[in-house]
Amino acid sequence: MTELIQQIIDGLGRGGIYALLALGIAVIFGVMHLINFAHGELITVSAYSSYWLFSIGLDWWLIAPIIVVVALVTAVIIEFVAFRWVRGAPDFTMLMTSFGVHFLVQALFVMYVSANFRQFPRPEWIFATFRVGQLNLEIYDLTVIVITLLTLLATYLLLQRTMFGISLRAAAEDFDTARLMGIRSNRVIRSAFVLSGVLAGIAAVFWLMRSGQAGPTAGLSPMLKGVLAALIGGLGSLSGAVLGGFVLGLVEVLLISRLPSSIAGLTDGIVFLLIALLFVFRPQGLISVKHVERV
Amino acid sequence: MLGIESLTTRYGAITAVRDVELTVRAGEIVCLIGPNGAGKTTLLSTISGLLKPSTGRVVLDGNDVTGWAPDQMLRSGLALVPEHRRIFADFTVRENLMVGGVTQTASRREQLFDEITSLFPILKERLYTQAGFLSGGEAQQLAIGRALMSDPNVLLMDEPSLGLAPVLVDQVFELIGKLREGGRTLFVVEQNAQRMLSVADRAYVMRSGSIVTAGPAAELRGNEELFKTYLGRSGGAA
Amino acid sequence: MDSDPIRHLITPGLGSLFLFSVIGGVFLLLSGDDSFSDLATQMMINTVVVLGLQIYIGNTGILSFGHIGFGAISGYAFAIFAVSPSRKLIQIPNAPLGLAEIDLTPFQSGIAAIAITLVIAIIVGLALSRSGARSGSVAAVVITLALLFVVHEVATNWIDLTRGGKTGLSFSPFGGNTLQGSYPIILLLFAAIAVARLFKETRAGRLAQAAREDDLVARAMGINPAVQQMIALLLSVAVVAAGSAMRVYEIGSISPRLFFFDYTLLTLTMLIVGGRYSVTGAVAGVLVITAGKELTRNLAELDVDGFNWFFRDGLTDIFLGAAMLGFMIMRPAGLLGDWEFDHWLLRRFKGAKSPVPVSKPTIMTSAQLKADSVSVRFGGFIALDDAALTAKGGEVVGLIGPNGAGKTTLLNVITGLVQSDNGTVLIGSNSLTGLTPIKIARAGLARTFQNIRLFPALSVGENVEVIRLVAHRHRQGKEMPSTDSLLVKAGLWDQKEWRASELDYGNGRRLELARAAAAGPDFLLLDEPTSGMSDSESIDMIAQVRTMAELIGAGVVVIDHDLNFITGICDRVYVLDQGRVIAEGSPAEISNNPLVLAAYLGEKA
Repeated sequence: MTELIQQIIDGLGRGGIYALLALGIAVIFGVMHLINFAHGELITVSAYSSYWLFSIGLDWWLIAPIIVVVALVTAVIIEFVAFRWVRGAPDFTMLMTSFGVHFLVQALFVMYVSANFRQFPRPEWIFATFRVGQLNLEIYDLTVIVITLLTLLATYLLLQRTMFGISLRAAAEDFDTARLMGIRSNRVIRSAFVLSGVLAGIAAVFWLMRSGQAGPTAGLSPMLKGVLAALIGGLGSLSGAVLGGFVLGLVEVLLISRLPSSIAGLTDGIVFLLIALLFVFRPQGLISVKHVERV
Repeated sequence: MLGIESLTTRYGAITAVRDVELTVRAGEIVCLIGPNGAGKTTLLSTISGLLKPSTGRVVLDGNDVTGWAPDQMLRSGLALVPEHRRIFADFTVRENLMVGGVTQTASRREQLFDEITSLFPILKERLYTQAGFLSGGEAQQLAIGRALMSDPNVLLMDEPSLGLAPVLVDQVFELIGKLREGGRTLFVVEQNAQRMLSVADRAYVMRSGSIVTAGPAAELRGNEELFKTYLGRSGGAA
Repeated sequence: MDSDPIRHLITPGLGSLFLFSVIGGVFLLLSGDDSFSDLATQMMINTVVVLGLQIYIGNTGILSFGHIGFGAISGYAFAIFAVSPSRKLIQIPNAPLGLAEIDLTPFQSGIAAIAITLVIAIIVGLALSRSGARSGSVAAVVITLALLFVVHEVATNWIDLTRGGKTGLSFSPFGGNTLQGSYPIILLLFAAIAVARLFKETRAGRLAQAAREDDLVARAMGINPAVQQMIALLLSVAVVAAGSAMRVYEIGSISPRLFFFDYTLLTLTMLIVGGRYSVTGAVAGVLVITAGKELTRNLAELDVDGFNWFFRDGLTDIFLGAAMLGFMIMRPAGLLGDWEFDHWLLRRFKGAKSPVPVSKPTIMTSAQLKADSVSVRFGGFIALDDAALTAKGGEVVGLIGPNGAGKTTLLNVITGLVQSDNGTVLIGSNSLTGLTPIKIARAGLARTFQNIRLFPALSVGENVEVIRLVAHRHRQGKEMPSTDSLLVKAGLWDQKEWRASELDYGNGRRLELARAAAAGPDFLLLDEPTSGMSDSESIDMIAQVRTMAELIGAGVVVIDHDLNFITGICDRVYVLDQGRVIAEGSPAEISNNPLVLAAYLGEKA
């Protein structure tokens, strides 16, 4: 029992990061029907920024907020440079565009920094553990859970209570009607990227605290996790994406602790396989999004 | 107030609107009737900026607004209640109205919100209901209320009685009457021609993308020829 | 393909030979110089793999990231069979199933590798069709990406079998084997070109393309896309598997990295830049991207003052990413679009064919179409309320009513696109109730759509021909007019080679009618065939529909708003209002019925 609670806490810690990433992906999918396979590049850019900020002697307390801004700015730039031009294009074109951005950003880092990973110091204090009863809790996990929940709450309030959020949700539900209501396409899409950038930035801080390295492919794994979590949640659904993130985190932790050590290295592959199976049997994801084709 | 000058809209190979001329003066209710596929919805979409015209001009309050985006049109005082209502089904009634007022300042939005909820008592009762659960008539009131939240000078409506039971159709026409008393300028596409002609000042009849007849609503109403023009082709035997 | 399938394949065959000689020429040119001979071999292997991708992605429109995963499976299977037992005992002594002792020739290993890969492909193909994969579908992206990823992880972790990720499995400690100029690669290259090019012209290929263009229409016309997609998948995987085995042989070793994202990016970029719908395009993509890569590789070594920020290592990756992104933004169909060398050849050297004599009308169907007490609700909205309709062979039945009356819904229920809550649909004595659109189409119903849906990227002739292929198999009792005579009857003979998207509206409508007729149905169901037409076009449409129906011996059910058209064409008319049939009778009876007047114009207030 204790073991299970321990694992649930670990899973929620992981899942929180995935939820933040997935939510950003779902927001963008909502307004432009684009699955952003370049979402991980926000983490890559953040990783290199952290490396550089460390090298000029900054500390995590300062680096964290800077990274959030960096991710935000990167998201807006990517929208402006690439996605703006394929708005409304066929799905095939949009998918390949997001992969194109993914590969191009990766190539830029290989060219201008290095193909090798660079290490930077992890904040060791956050990985300290303390005991509550029989539980062994990491400050890190608790921080992730608390900050994630606060971020999700803030996002929820933003989306529900502010005109910014209402506009964004309106555009996600029916883009043309939203335009008829006076919502500007450019602005609402940019704001979706801003929001997804901020969420990815917060996720990046936690991700990088744990990984402590920067490399051209640093964003690949978080991107895949985010996309998978968003897919579990049904892509268009924001609450589904959050749920998908936590489900993914829990499934991963439970798999790692239960798989025999000989195939523990396959965890990611198994998770991917499970999600592919989910798509085989429920192509619309766990939480289905209505889609009616008029003929 | 609103002027359309030799407007043509094409979708790929289709010319859906062909050389249309019409005007709507301040305070008038003008209706546009015609069979399905005549190009009425395309015309409204072009005026409201969702589609770009191939040639011709749209003039609003003396300004050339041809090719403006929908949000610019809205800010210039023209709102559209789209066909099939297109309310945001996952939103509450209140949120739907808020989206309608997105271009207003916060205080003006609250003021409009109060005005409109008193105009539509049913909506006031259901402010926190999810809009997807509204009945057809309520949803239509919401769609109109949402458009009014931008406090438009000209309101375009596309088939407001579509898919409504007869009782609800009555409500919609009552509402159009109310808006008329409130001094709104309306341009309405409607299939219920007889009813519409009884509330409108002037009417245009559209067929195959062109305006074929225009005149005061009272004259067109009860005109036997109308049935033929409406459903058949000119010179036909219908 | 009408009369002589062999003749139909001659020009694509010639085209394949031409493409082969171009690649062969480049290859010979490069092999003259020692430093380029490896490059030439690589290029040929890449051509094979890219052609494999083209067969699937080009014809079905489904984006697969998994093909390089199939390549990895094939590559590993090949290496595990083909590496000599003595080398295996050093590298993977604990391989399961005694694989370490197996000793096969490279040829045998290649065949075995392809066979194993195909078995996996069948499983993946079934999963894809279960998920409802179609052009642009997310499910397909996820499933194929999962394959790529899972194969990579297994290869990295199953060290007993694959020797893991660091060193990989190699043939000899001293580098690769050489395939330079050897017959297997040349034969394989030619085979890949010919298979890809000819597949486009086969029944399966054409049906897959139709589903790529419009999945819903394809189903409504009796095409089962899942079958064609499976055939395309297996063929394409076989080609990719063969190319991948060669790649491993040429390089002399395999590690998980060899068949992962980098190679996926490279091959997909080649395909997309060249033009994924075209075999010529796929080959051109390989040439252009290889040239670009070599150029940027050399540029990267330049030392130009002030430009060293640009001329540096990694330029080739930038080139690949930028090429993919640039083409997606500026020219998503690729360099060549769907241009094929042999099409061009055909048009260049062959004059216009004169039309064949139009076939004689077929015997009119004796079947009767009957829909009874059909009710449909969408949420709280009652779209159809106990509606009924009967049509006999040789009859033209009209369905009119105001906007939102439920006419299209009734047509959708009859053709299986909408499930009714209640009611039955019969053709003759066969019940169609609850069948899929595919089965209903094959049972003898063909339809057109309110908002005109052609297969836009296919030619006018292909639009008709592809549906005729379906009829040929599934409507065997029916004697069918040829594609050419359908086109002549539709007045589209001169536009036969045009792309359907280039037709104007009236011609588009006529093509949609001819395509429905090509399905050899007992009943044609037409949804607003004259909407958006001019007056004279709409009058012409009366004769058009009648001759077409006579030619194929079918009854007609037609929805329209134009009463002149309806009175001109119909024997009987049903009037729908608010989901109910409010009147039925001859056109004259209907136009004098006050209920109808009220339904259309609204009651007089």
